[in-house]
Amino acid sequence: MNVKEYISSGILESYASGELSESERADVERNLAQYPELRKELSLIEETMEAFFLKAAKEPRAAVKTRILEAITLRSVQSVVSREQRPTNNEPKSNVIAFWKYATAASIVLAFTSTFMAYNFWNNWKETEVSLLQLRAVNEQVARDYDQVNQRLDAIENEMKIVSSPSFARVVMKGTANSPDAMASVYWNKSTQESYLSIQNLKALAQEQQYQLWAIVDGKPIDMGVFDSATGLHKMKSVGNVAAFAVTIEPRGGKPSPSMATMQVLGNT
Amino acid sequence: MIYRILNNDDVAEEVLQDTFLRIWDRIGSYDSGKGRLFTWMLNVARNLAIDKTRSKEISKVRKTDDIDDLVNKIDRKQQAEQNIDIIGLKEFLGRLSEDQKFVVEHLYLKGYTQSELADEFNIPLGTVKTRLRLAIIELRTILEVKS
Repeated sequence: MNVKEYISSGILESYASGELSESERADVERNLAQYPELRKELSLIEETMEAFFLKAAKEPRAAVKTRILEAITLRSVQSVVSREQRPTNNEPKSNVIAFWKYATAASIVLAFTSTFMAYNFWNNWKETEVSLLQLRAVNEQVARDYDQVNQRLDAIENEMKIVSSPSFARVVMKGTANSPDAMASVYWNKSTQESYLSIQNLKALAQEQQYQLWAIVDGKPIDMGVFDSATGLHKMKSVGNVAAFAVTIEPRGGKPSPSMATMQVLGNT
Repeated sequence: MIYRILNNDDVAEEVLQDTFLRIWDRIGSYDSGKGRLFTWMLNVARNLAIDKTRSKEISKVRKTDDIDDLVNKIDRKQQAEQNIDIIGLKEFLGRLSEDQKFVVEHLYLKGYTQSELADEFNIPLGTVKTRLRLAIIELRTILEVKS
C-alpha cells in the first residue's frame, strides 16, 4: 500500500470526523495498526481538529455546568440502581471501565448516604444524650423526694408512738405575760426520763437567739437543751422528778442558768 | 461546535448536556488505540448536534446561512467579548482558500456530513475529502500545531 497516497486521499480526516462506514472504519483501523506513519498523521489531524474546535468554541452559560453535573450524578445513581437490578446484563468488553464507573458512582452515593446517616445518627445521639441527662436528673430528684418523705414518715411514726404512748405524760406549757399566745408541750416519760418537745406556737427568733428548755427539779432550773422554732417533736435531755418545764429566750447556744425575764411558756407536771 | 451547528443557546445547551450524559454512558466503548479522547467526544457531540438539526427541522434555515450571515447575526445578538472569538475565527478562516474555507465551514461549523455537502453542492465526494485534507494541513500551520 502506498502510505503517502493513502494519507493524501483524506481518508484519515474522514475517519477522525467519524464520517466513515463501519467497514471503512475497520479498514482504517487495520492500516493504523500496521503503519506507524498513519498513526502519526492521524494524531496530527486530531491535534489540528482539537486546536480548531477549541478556537471556534463558544463558552456555555455558567449555569450549564451545574445542570450537567446534576444530570450526571442522577444518571450515575440510576446506573447503580439498574445494575443492581440486572446484574447479568454487562458487555464483557467494557467490564473493567464499567466497573470503575459504577464503583465511582457507588462510592459517591455511599459517601453522600453515609455522611447524611452519620449526621443523622450524631443528631439522634445528641438528643438521646440530652434526654438521658434530663431523665437522670429527674430520677435523682424523685429519689431525694422519696428519701425525704420516708424520713418524714419515720419521724411521724416515731412521734405518733410517743404521743400515743401511755407512758409519756404531756406537759402543756402556756404563754406567760411576755407572750400570752405562746404554747408548747413536753412529752415526758417519768420512768425512762426521756423528754420530747413539741411546739404549738412560738414566735420566730433573731439569728443570734435560741429557745432553751428548762426543767425545774427541786426548785432549781436544769438545762434541757436549746432549740429553734420548728414543727415536730424534738428530743431533749433526760430528766427525772420534774416539777415544771419552762422555755426562755437565750443567746444562741444557751446559757447555764435561765434569764427568767425572757420566759415564754411555763407548765407544771 | 454544538452551538455553531445549532445556532441557538437553549438547544445547544440541551444537546451539550445530552453529550455529557452520552459520554458518561459510553466511556466504556472509547478505545484509546483508535484515536484521541477529544476527537471521540467531539464526534459524540457532533452526531447529537446533527441529529438535533434534523429533528428540529431547522436545517433549511441554517443551511442557507453562510459564515458571514452567521457572524453578522451573532454580532448583533451577542456582547462584545464573545465577538472576539468570532472575529478571531473569521480571521483565521480567512487565511484558507475559498474552497477550503467553504468545506471547513460546512463540515465543522454547520454540521454537514461529507456526503450531504457533496450532494447538495454537486461536489464529488473525493474532492470534498481532499479539500478537507488540504484545509487541515493549512490549519495546522495557522494554528501552529507542532508535529
